[in-house]
Amino acid sequence: MWFTSVYLKTLRDFRVGILGWGLGVGLLMVAVLSAFPSLVETPEARDALVGLAGSFSWIAEPVAIDTPGGYATFKYGFTILVIVLWPLLVGSRMLRGEEESGSLDALLSLPRSRARVALEKLAAMWTALLAMGLLIGLLAFAGGSSAGADFGLGGGLLFGLNLALIAGMFGAVALLLSQFTQASAAAGATGGLLLLSIVVDMVHRVVSNTEWLSRLSPVYYYNLSKPLVTSYGYNSGAMLVLLGVGILLSAWALVLFVRRDVGGTAAIPAWLRLPQRAVRPGEALPVNAWSLRSIYTRSLATIAMPTFWWTLIIAGFAGWMVIIVKQTEEKLAVLREGSPLLSEVIAKVGGGDATTNASLLSFLFVFLPLLLMAFAVTQASRWAADEENGRQELVLATPQPRSTVILARFGALATSMVVVGATTLAATALSSAVTGLKLDQGNLAAAALGMIPLGLLVGALGYLFSGWLRTAVDTGLLSFLLLIWFFISFIGPELNWPDGALRLSAFYYYGTPLLNGLPLLSTLGTLAVTAVALALASVRFARKDIGR
Amino acid sequence: MAAIIEVEGLTKSYGNKRGIIDVAFQVEEGEVFGFLGPNGAGKTTTIRVLMALLRADAGLTRIAGLDCWEQSVAIKRLAGYLPGELSLDPGLTGGQILEYFGHLRGGVDQAYLKQLIKRLDLDPSRKFRQYSSGNKRKIGIIQAFMHRPRLLILDEPTNGLDPLNQQEFGRLVKEVRDEGGTVFLSSHILTEIEQTCGRVAIIREGRMVRVGGVAELKDIKRHEVTITFADTVPAKSFQALAGVEQVEMLSGGHTLRLAVSGGLDAVVKEAAQHQVVTLTSHEPSLEDIFLRYYEGDGLVPREDGNVVH
Repeated sequence: MWFTSVYLKTLRDFRVGILGWGLGVGLLMVAVLSAFPSLVETPEARDALVGLAGSFSWIAEPVAIDTPGGYATFKYGFTILVIVLWPLLVGSRMLRGEEESGSLDALLSLPRSRARVALEKLAAMWTALLAMGLLIGLLAFAGGSSAGADFGLGGGLLFGLNLALIAGMFGAVALLLSQFTQASAAAGATGGLLLLSIVVDMVHRVVSNTEWLSRLSPVYYYNLSKPLVTSYGYNSGAMLVLLGVGILLSAWALVLFVRRDVGGTAAIPAWLRLPQRAVRPGEALPVNAWSLRSIYTRSLATIAMPTFWWTLIIAGFAGWMVIIVKQTEEKLAVLREGSPLLSEVIAKVGGGDATTNASLLSFLFVFLPLLLMAFAVTQASRWAADEENGRQELVLATPQPRSTVILARFGALATSMVVVGATTLAATALSSAVTGLKLDQGNLAAAALGMIPLGLLVGALGYLFSGWLRTAVDTGLLSFLLLIWFFISFIGPELNWPDGALRLSAFYYYGTPLLNGLPLLSTLGTLAVTAVALALASVRFARKDIGR
Repeated sequence: MAAIIEVEGLTKSYGNKRGIIDVAFQVEEGEVFGFLGPNGAGKTTTIRVLMALLRADAGLTRIAGLDCWEQSVAIKRLAGYLPGELSLDPGLTGGQILEYFGHLRGGVDQAYLKQLIKRLDLDPSRKFRQYSSGNKRKIGIIQAFMHRPRLLILDEPTNGLDPLNQQEFGRLVKEVRDEGGTVFLSSHILTEIEQTCGRVAIIREGRMVRVGGVAELKDIKRHEVTITFADTVPAKSFQALAGVEQVEMLSGGHTLRLAVSGGLDAVVKEAAQHQVVTLTSHEPSLEDIFLRYYEGDGLVPREDGNVVH
């Protein structure tokens, strides 16, 4: 049955994604809804929560925050958009990925039109997203029922549908961009647009009279619907906007795909094109480029562009957070005076007390290692893919020991992470100086640079897993590990999990460096585990059959 | 001459899937050695074990007296390798790729490199992803030859090359041999192996079925004789003759096509009993011999016609 059409075959390929993402995000909803009753045990605690949420309105608009549905909607804010990663990758690879691997040639040799092949694949992606939305909606309803929420099954399903719509829209963006460039570049650019959309949506909640700007962001339209908040409901117009834009972009992508060469790219306007450097054949050698001197320098050149973008994202996010905290500072001071329970609530929700700017920033800085670790996942995935695609074959045919090959590559990753960390430190220090937010410079350095060991840990684990696992499984396992860790650290304290359970997350060892400085033992421990993982990865790589 | 490649009892499996079983052969220094076999026979597996990309389950593999797995780095200093499927960084130009591998090999003679580029008519200024499959193959060939290795291990090297470049490749191989180098190549182009190689190994379903000189292999050949008679002749009178393995009747019985192993004396004497119009004897190519090894496996479709076995 599954091999009777392109649609069914593609849907079959998505079965792990549907279950993984659907159940994963759905269970996160269950967890946060279950944690809600413990946060509002007394009327004072409820008031403190409402007051605190108002100060964090930049994350999400706090609506009916003292209800399970309102709290869950607010708590996940933009972080739930992590689900967009799936259509982002699928959309960018749907056609371009198969072109790059050469498999699309065979598919298009069948007596089916290009448009039909592309449409069937697109339909499979949308079906998968709706299935994910269904799972998330059902689990949200189940979690809400256990927490005594007032939203029903319809609210849960609409919540899932709203997520599927924004995810599908970004999938369409990735599909469209992949008509102009390689799959990896399309995925990266779509990821950048997603982050930009989140920030643009955030702007109107931080700076007044800027709603016009936020309306340019698809995330704005996603946030117009809050189906888990019965008093707020959903906005069918906003949902139709997301659907309409998704369809429009998909149609544009399909038109380009039908008209262009397979393996080629759609023409982009001349003003967007990078200038071509004309090199006459006779001048093509010797190249004398620094990046071609060794495996390390070559790896460094390869990772340079992703490092640039990730640095922009991470350092930009850190700098932006400093500005946000400065703006929140005054509101919190007023709240602290009026509510003695506030510190306790922040301790549960944020992991520190509310007596300093650093404590608030410290809560926000937990996203920095998460982002750096996500960067590490992409690079570990690339390492595994290079072997799987046969790109290591000729490198290993040169007189370079295998241990040199893997360590040089990891060295380049480590270098790029140091660049990210140092730039983040510079960005936060600059923001702090410009806004006048007082922060301990030593602790700030610990917070910016302390995330590097976590990034290295994820990289080393990815390299180690790739010794046995195929790229897709390696990447999936790492992503799953990252989500589990984040889940433990993000939700665990609210659920009053024991310290032993919280220690299972790598984020635990990042600590609260902005408040307490670098946790030396934890950092050294993380580095030691990284070194062991890397050593084992090297041993495994030196002994394994090189895959193709 | 000493053996530069020694393979004994080499076995490699992929889980419960067959790879190669008890493969053994030697390649002498200075010779051009051909490695033949159909798809999936085990050629690439053998080559990848030699290059330490795969670890053998059992057996001995040595190059220049060095263990292929334990001393692989030393081996790679003296070997040039071209994989069957070439995958390189699509964003680099041909020139950048060659420069990179040149550095990883500790530097190469730039004049020789430029000469190779010129001889194979490659434009090194284009990005790898922009090359045709033939030009990608040229990049692979050049990087294998550019450091003047003592041993070349080439997996289907001319796959995708046009005839002119195939000829140029043949000249390059001969030059390497004339300078004392050794070439180990697998190929499906049997005429190329026949013209280029001194000795040939045939691998089938993971096992070596024959190793010998090209001339030796031809000794086990059978002739294909086509005789046209003025009148129809009975096929049975030829079928019973010594050495006749197959008789095929064509042109309504006027022409017989015979597959004969050994001498032709009996066939000629029997034909002389009839009025012969024409007689041609076709000497089998290496390809014919190669195909013969796979007859009976359903791999080689027989011609339709009046075939009498």
